[in-house]
Amino acid sequence: MDQVVRLVVNGDAVTARVESDWNLLRLLREGLGLQGTKEGCGAGECGACTVILDGAAVNSCIFPAVAAEGAEVVTVEGLAAPDGTLHPLQQQFIDKGAVQCGFCTPGMLLSAKALLDRIPDPTEHQIKSALAGNLCRCTGYNQIIEAVQAAAADLAATPAAGARASSETEEVPA
Amino acid sequence: MASFEFLTPQTLPEAVDLLASWGEEAAVVAGATDLWVNIRSGKLAPKALVSLRALPSMRSLRHAGGDGNGGPGDGARTPGAATGTTLPGGAAGGGAASIAAGASPSGGALTIGAATPHADIEDSLWVAEHFPALQQACASLGSRQVRNVGTLGGNICNAAPCADSATALMLYDATVVLQGPDGERELPLGEFFIGPGQTRRGPAEVLTQIRVADPGPRTYSGYLKHTRRKGVELAMMSVGARVTLAEDGLTVRRARISLGVCAPTPTCSAGGELFLEGKPLTRENVARAAEIAAEESRVRDSWRGKAWYRREMIRVLVPRVIEQSGAFAAVETR
Ligand SMILES: Cc1cc2nc3c(=O)[nH]c(=O)nc-3n(C[C@H](O)[C@H](O)[C@H](O)COP(=O)(O)OP(=O)(O)OC[C@H]3O[C@@H](n4cnc5c(N)ncnc54)[C@H](O)[C@@H]3O)c2cc1C
Ligand code: FES
Ligand code: FES
Repeated sequence: MDQVVRLVVNGDAVTARVESDWNLLRLLREGLGLQGTKEGCGAGECGACTVILDGAAVNSCIFPAVAAEGAEVVTVEGLAAPDGTLHPLQQQFIDKGAVQCGFCTPGMLLSAKALLDRIPDPTEHQIKSALAGNLCRCTGYNQIIEAVQAAAADLAATPAAGARASSETEEVPA
Repeated sequence: MASFEFLTPQTLPEAVDLLASWGEEAAVVAGATDLWVNIRSGKLAPKALVSLRALPSMRSLRHAGGDGNGGPGDGARTPGAATGTTLPGGAAGGGAASIAAGASPSGGALTIGAATPHADIEDSLWVAEHFPALQQACASLGSRQVRNVGTLGGNICNAAPCADSATALMLYDATVVLQGPDGERELPLGEFFIGPGQTRRGPAEVLTQIRVADPGPRTYSGYLKHTRRKGVELAMMSVGARVTLAEDGLTVRRARISLGVCAPTPTCSAGGELFLEGKPLTRENVARAAEIAAEESRVRDSWRGKAWYRREMIRVLVPRVIEQSGAFAAVETR
């Protein structure tokens, strides 16, 4: 059964034709060619497929594509500024060694971004809680937590640095 | 995955009509965090999914009374608003740490739209203050990603023995409101469950609201989810407790002990509750109530835990959750 979905992805309005049994992950990767979002478990357990939908981190593997009608979605491709300047989270993940194989990284970045948009100055506990649904088999998590803390500090010092991506998430979900 | 139609009704009556015309072949879909996994694994093969996403009134947190900590609807999450920064119960995905002391000040019945995601409740300071066990249970469920999407109504209708928010709601004598072709009906949550995955919901009924009455002053409650690891795990078992003290600040006027994964559905321990009511809230009496709750539980072996262990842990967790609700401290400092 194919259906049409209209949504905004990384600031661009898109219209896509999907099968009703497609998940949002497949719409992003196959429908729109945005392959930064990864599939790990496909069952909501690992967080590799995390994107931001209407301001909230969601697992795109268990989110029906059709249910994204009218939504604003941010993927890892939407984090850097148009001139290529990395988002503070991306830069700090590199600087702090929070990336090894990189498979979990897009999901980690988006869970972290959703957290910082909601709580700009999170405690370590709040960071762990927000990232508990993102598995990393490489880093041991410590570097990831440090990177999120450092990015929070960067964003507090230069709020404009994260402005582009956050302006895309101001819609309140229905 | 088997193919199906994904239908997005724009009104509640339209949703009920669609369900009535598709009959057993249709399934309601809210957050899909249970449904999608079950369809993908082939456990379920509905021909039509009737989505609640276009019905904004189904996502709401409304409370009467209050104390200035947010008017009606403070739970409507606004991305960017730094709510919940000092919330209790924000442990890494839950686990044993998701406990906070909390008397619930008087002043508030609560009505929750069935399609309200758990994150809205996790983030509500008002709920944390007035219905702490509910806030703790919602904060302990799955991951933030799952809580952002998975709804209270879905947790209830999915009717898993481990359903966290459903188990906590039992403490507050919650009722569920169902809308079907023949109109609306309301029934106690405890009567809604029949068995694992089975409820009294008719095939064309939509769960629209969960209602919780004001538990009254001097109410203390908490929820303890027992898991092997702290984050993103289903409960091996869970225990909630609520006590409402009489005006003397000592006698238990009303007690509720709810148990997850200790029977085929979330349950309350009627025997344990009856034992406590009318008696002074002492550690001895609570230990006896816990003993009764353990004895009358219908625990069984599963790969997540053994029956004898679950029974033993009811004895341990009932006093612990009452301790952490702050009720003993209130009695001792009255
Ligand atoms: C990784 C992961 C971790 C999880 N961890 C936990 C956990 O720790 N604790 C826990 O309790 N659960 C957990 N869950 C299960 C699930 O997230 C919850 O049960 C959630 O509340 C389901 O809500 P939903 O809106 O996604 O329901 P859906 O999947 O949309 O629906 C679930 C069922 O309820 C029916 N339904 C939903 N809403 C209504 C309605 N308003 N009226 C009538 N019928 C309705 C559907 O037809 C379906 O049968 C987890 C799931 C995942 C994927
Ligand atoms: S791929 Fe979506 S959570 Fe694992
Ligand atoms: S960097 Fe390899 S899984 Fe996280």
